[in-house]
Amino acid sequence: MGLYVHRPMISATQLSKHYRVKVRDSGIGGALRAIVAPRYEDVVAVDNLTFSIDRGEVVAFLGPNGAGKTTTLKMITGLLYPTSGKIEVAGVNPWTAGSAFKSRLALVFGNKQQLLWDLPVDETFRLNRAIYSIPDTIYNEQRAELIELLELEELLDRPVRNLSLGERMKCELAAALLHRPELVLLDEPTLGLDVNAQDAVRGFLNEYGTRHTATILLTSHYMADVTALAKRVIMIDRGRLIYDGSLQGLVERTVPIKRIEVTLTPNATFDSIARFGEVKRFQYPHAVIEVPRAEAPEASARILMSGVIADLSIQDPPIEEVIRQVFARDSRAGRDGGAE
Amino acid sequence: MWNSERGCEAPKRGTISKKGRAARLGTAFRALIALSAARELQYRANFFASFLGAAFWLLMAVFTVSIFYEHTEVVGGWSFWEAAVLLGVFNALVGVVEGVLRPGIGSLPDEIRHGSLDLLLLRPIDAQLYLTFQEVDLWRIADVITGFALSAYALHHLGRTPSVGEVALFLVTFLAAVAILYGVWLTLMSLSFWFVAVENLSTVFDAVFEAARYPASAYPSALRLVFLFVLPIVWTTTIPASALVGRLSMSVAAGCLFIAAATLIISRAVWRLALRRYTSAGG
Amino acid sequence: MTAVAVWSKRYGAFIRSAWMVDIQYRADIALWLLWGITEPAIALGIWWTVAGGGDVDGYTRVSFARYFFGVTLINQLTQAWDAWYIDHWIAEGEMNHRLLRPIAPVHEAIADNIAYKARVGTIVIIVWLLTAAVWPIVRLPVAPERWVLAAVAVVLGAGIRFFNGFAVGLLAFWTTRASDIIELQMAIGVFLSGQLAPLDLLPHWVASVASALWFPYAIAFPVSLLTGTGGWEHHIVQGFVGQLAWLIAWWLLYRFIWRNGRKEYGAVGG
Repeated sequence: MGLYVHRPMISATQLSKHYRVKVRDSGIGGALRAIVAPRYEDVVAVDNLTFSIDRGEVVAFLGPNGAGKTTTLKMITGLLYPTSGKIEVAGVNPWTAGSAFKSRLALVFGNKQQLLWDLPVDETFRLNRAIYSIPDTIYNEQRAELIELLELEELLDRPVRNLSLGERMKCELAAALLHRPELVLLDEPTLGLDVNAQDAVRGFLNEYGTRHTATILLTSHYMADVTALAKRVIMIDRGRLIYDGSLQGLVERTVPIKRIEVTLTPNATFDSIARFGEVKRFQYPHAVIEVPRAEAPEASARILMSGVIADLSIQDPPIEEVIRQVFARDSRAGRDGGAE
Repeated sequence: MWNSERGCEAPKRGTISKKGRAARLGTAFRALIALSAARELQYRANFFASFLGAAFWLLMAVFTVSIFYEHTEVVGGWSFWEAAVLLGVFNALVGVVEGVLRPGIGSLPDEIRHGSLDLLLLRPIDAQLYLTFQEVDLWRIADVITGFALSAYALHHLGRTPSVGEVALFLVTFLAAVAILYGVWLTLMSLSFWFVAVENLSTVFDAVFEAARYPASAYPSALRLVFLFVLPIVWTTTIPASALVGRLSMSVAAGCLFIAAATLIISRAVWRLALRRYTSAGG
Repeated sequence: MTAVAVWSKRYGAFIRSAWMVDIQYRADIALWLLWGITEPAIALGIWWTVAGGGDVDGYTRVSFARYFFGVTLINQLTQAWDAWYIDHWIAEGEMNHRLLRPIAPVHEAIADNIAYKARVGTIVIIVWLLTAAVWPIVRLPVAPERWVLAAVAVVLGAGIRFFNGFAVGLLAFWTTRASDIIELQMAIGVFLSGQLAPLDLLPHWVASVASALWFPYAIAFPVSLLTGTGGWEHHIVQGFVGQLAWLIAWWLLYRFIWRNGRKEYGAVGG
């Protein structure tokens, strides 16, 4: 009987990335100084991240611009090497890993395209097939599945430059997944897309993840990406990990309230509902009351029985609000806590 | 300027006095140059780099010409130092092309493509003038200065001091050469109103203009005829340089001036035709 | 699949894509070709005048004509623009996805060159043939053995210029001035490779410097083999040995710079 060792897909241990940036003063004196006696500044992009992601998980890296999300992805794929700490992906060090490793992953950038601009979409598919030496059976299966899931049939023969942003993103995804990578990384995949395209991308990723047990990592600053896709959220701000867990857990931890949205009856007054909790909004016939999470069921029951409402629904606070609070809290802590 | 009763309409020419218009143009011209200067003076390092760069490439050019003269005293009737005078004139003209023509009217295809031409047309100044001077690269004056310096040095080597008349003739034919190059550029760029891929035509200009490094007589006679009738830009260096080395006949000089005037008139007409088509087509 | 099959498919796919893109940029390519023709044409024009009815150190008008037609063709078949592409890739963030492929970016560049040169070379050959039809001077003596040797020399010469250009282009990992360096090298190369004049006609010190470097092996040697003039046609063995040596040298330099450049990129990102 063998010993089963659970090995995560991605394992980051105190992962850090610092950049040494030359400080350049203005003017001709500054320019000369920069050559003769350069001064450097240490910029921290990623600071002591520790996390572990299992095979098949879908994880969203959430954080404001410049938080270090893209840098983290680049270290996971081996584009950059860590300044300190350790990163292990599928059991290997990505920085030193060879072409076999690269064939098992895909990294899609929301703002940089990899499709051949002047040629029909299918030409990029052909090229990727050759680059990754994809066996015929897998290629045909993958291609068919991706065309079906992303509705690409009419787009295949069109030059990439004639496609809309949403169409291009769908084709980017397909081209990146032809070789059936086990690890799929997406950097801001829904950036700049209209609502329909965003939905299409999210729906596709959900389906793909389910079908292929692929490990999917995405970075985003759109909450909607997170709610639609990820059960797990890793929040990064200024390079530091400030939360790692379920989205629900984040909501509960950060903003421990529930919002009760009610439709009022004609005889209702402001005071008649104000006694149940904090009234956040009052615009007849609608109102929103906030109550502590634990008290929500009881409060709802009392409101229902009060006779002043016609309809009621219990909601979590909007995710945006939650996220904003988390980052605000973090930056406040950073300001007060001192050392940067 | 905008008559609110008539709505948005291009200002009629006759509404300002001639003197007022000239003053206005002068002010605008000065303002544009000042703007370019202010922009470039921020980068003082450019100053040294420009002159060093210009001097280096000029030396390379002189060296290139000298290769031919290793094997002969005279090429097409021109001695080495005479050819060096011409090379200096070439360099100066390149400075004008790169400093004024290319950043100015050479940007027309880009402006059309990005839609910024429409903004330009709204200005109360003649569009051609504005376009010509909106983006002068003052650092290219280094090429003009080093070019003239080379010509002066070469003349000194020839033991030749041009007379006042010859210098005047040189300046006049140099300006005529500038006018011809300007006209050619304007015409080429006006084509971009009809054909989008025209920006690369400036590449054609560059390639052909390279031939102007040498006196026209250095080329086989068949080629010289082609240059004269098809590619007159190749003569733009020979004629002013001829003035400096005392080879220029008045009839040729007059012909050059005539061609310069004709080029300016024709190119302006082409420009206005293209502009009219552009504005009437709705951009 | 065997390694040969895998790599053939990869190169085949890259060449196919590059060829198809080139078709779209026909006009651009035509214009760049114009440059490729006017420069040697100007040089030929001047030498033609200098040679007059006689010769210049053994070079007659006929020799010059053949030589410069050869230079035009060989230059098109060996010139390498990859330094500018690398600069562009790094500046625009397009290096990332190339680094994530299971193959090094150099292969895409090689395939691209093959497609481009096949297209442009064919055009120049056609122009040469057409000119030869009306101008007997530029006709080459029929000598298939020479042509085969010349073809091999062209491939080796293209390899030298490619790895030279790519290696210098990779300096873009450290500096934004890599394309300036390449431009300077190209300007010097005009003398040292024999594009301005056969090396015999250059001042002795210039010819010596040239022979010590790789430039003549990229152009002057293949041109001499093809046209029978230019100074290298009687130094066949020396020529091929030199070509191989410089090809290996620049390939090794490329490997060295690539390894270190990759590390630099991994440190500072792109």
